[in-house]
Amino acid sequence: MNALDIELVSVSKSYASMAVVRDIDLAIPQGEFVSILGPSGCGKTTTLNMIAGFTAPSRGDIRIKGRSQVRVPPERRNIGLVFQNYALFPHMTVTENVAFGLKMKGVRREEAAATVKSALRSVHLEGMGERYPRELSGGQQQRVALARAIAPRPSVLLLDEPLSNLDLKLREAMRIELKEIQQQLGMTFVYVTHDQEEAMAMSDRVVVMWQGAIAQQGQPADLYREPNSRFVADFIGKSNILAVQTTATGQAHLELRVGEGVILKARNTEPSAEVRYCSIRPESIAVLPPGAGGDEFANRLDGTVRRVVNLGAAFEIDADLGSDVHLHVLLRATRASVPPKLGDSIRLGIDDADIQALSA
Amino acid sequence: MNRLISILYWVSLGAVLSFITLPLIVVVAASLSPTSAVTLQPWEWTGRWYADLWSSRWLDPFLASFRIATVVAAISGVLGLFAAYAVVYERIPGSDGLMSYLLSPLSVPQIVKGVAIVLFLSMIGLQGFLGTPALIAAHVVLALPFVTRMVATSLANFDANLDRAAQILGANKLQRIRLVVLPMIKPGVLSGVTFAFIISFNNIPLSVFLVRPGDSTLPITVINYLEYSLDPVLAAVNVASMAFILTVIFLFEKIGGFSAQLHGGSK
Repeated sequence: MNALDIELVSVSKSYASMAVVRDIDLAIPQGEFVSILGPSGCGKTTTLNMIAGFTAPSRGDIRIKGRSQVRVPPERRNIGLVFQNYALFPHMTVTENVAFGLKMKGVRREEAAATVKSALRSVHLEGMGERYPRELSGGQQQRVALARAIAPRPSVLLLDEPLSNLDLKLREAMRIELKEIQQQLGMTFVYVTHDQEEAMAMSDRVVVMWQGAIAQQGQPADLYREPNSRFVADFIGKSNILAVQTTATGQAHLELRVGEGVILKARNTEPSAEVRYCSIRPESIAVLPPGAGGDEFANRLDGTVRRVVNLGAAFEIDADLGSDVHLHVLLRATRASVPPKLGDSIRLGIDDADIQALSA
Repeated sequence: MNRLISILYWVSLGAVLSFITLPLIVVVAASLSPTSAVTLQPWEWTGRWYADLWSSRWLDPFLASFRIATVVAAISGVLGLFAAYAVVYERIPGSDGLMSYLLSPLSVPQIVKGVAIVLFLSMIGLQGFLGTPALIAAHVVLALPFVTRMVATSLANFDANLDRAAQILGANKLQRIRLVVLPMIKPGVLSGVTFAFIISFNNIPLSVFLVRPGDSTLPITVINYLEYSLDPVLAAVNVASMAFILTVIFLFEKIGGFSAQLHGGSK
């Protein structure tokens, strides 16, 4: 276990009577890439501002490297921050921007120059040092902001939706680059975003926030496979979320009824809680060839094709199982495959492990 | 239709521009007039009225005005900067009320202000302050709302994230003000200071109550001279002071680097 870089201990923030952040506990080990993910208004930016020191928590403690930071002003926290709008100093050149933090730390001039150079190299902006921010493209400004934040070697780098102003292609390229830079530096990154793809693509750990509290946290794959609530299942990736009633509870299995007559067998992952919903990922549903048994699946369901959308790499099929139950199915397109047509009868197979029972 | 609009546009633009410039052209022409009556005969123009300016009769008031305007620009620049900083940047309690108070001198006619200042000074027995000290104080009162307003506007447009960026990079408050806030609002401060200088340099309604005989500002000297005679030397004075003001504006633009700050292009 690595040393903890950041600890949030039951941190809350309220404005007047509005609770914006409620009782957050979070421990971020040294060198981890953590994303705080959530829709706008979920409290993620407030959490970031509390770590940076711009906002004081109403309750709770924030520790960096074990030391409480509640009374430490931002300028003495040794944290880096990349702003959504970059916030580059327009009256300074790229070099002056990147050198700013070093100058504030009192780093000697020659040493600072070398550090600036290597910071600019790590974001691929060599030779741009004499330009002013307004002479750079959005992506280049983004890199300068990153270089400026990492140059003073902060213990932690906070990033506030840094890619949201870039176009899609650049954003995807920067994802990979950010991750590489983070690994090279071995620096702890706390990345705030509302874009779940971004969070999934880069993070060692994703913290999903909703309505001011942590809904779930874990490795991206775990969150995707085993969401603990409708909100997480829906927010991360696409999912079929069905309201269910438990008709039989076994040690290892549950029998869930959807709508009037569709029965699903699921693994019993939450024995204590009352199961009220279930989540099924569209790509985990198999389309069985007509006539074939599909005995390896715990659930075999018959339905009618109501809609087929060609997504290129896959077909999105809306299957009507009767009694108002619909499932979205993602069928991978292969050279040989013939997609089902509108109105076709279809048989679906779902493994019991792919049905995630949810209590909320 | 478009053609008609375009013609209307150029015609009205021309009308406005000539409305602004024609009086100036008349003054320039008058200052070159060969006789003491104002004439418009370009082939007989002379520069001799300008030569007359180089005498203590005109030079002394000019220097007095220049001194006063410089001090007024400096004082109201510093005060306006502080005021706008407290109100807009620090948002001290009662900021909105304070801002209205700071702008309130605008709502009092200058003549009223002039009378009030004279009465006030004599009431508290400080008639000795009449002349340069009273002029400076009165002009500061007059110029302060303009400076405060201009600095306040540029502070309001200042991106608070720049301040936060500097802070998270380790800059304390003084460093942030010196290295980030001041450079960013410099154009606003400089235009405020330019305004203050011009307001003071050109002022008549306030100054007329506060000058002392023999220690007068340029506009007041012109007014006094006008009471007894109208000759082209007055036009020459006005053209010269206009040229001076334009030079001041130009110089402040240069120092401010307004265009480099606001638009593209490097310094």
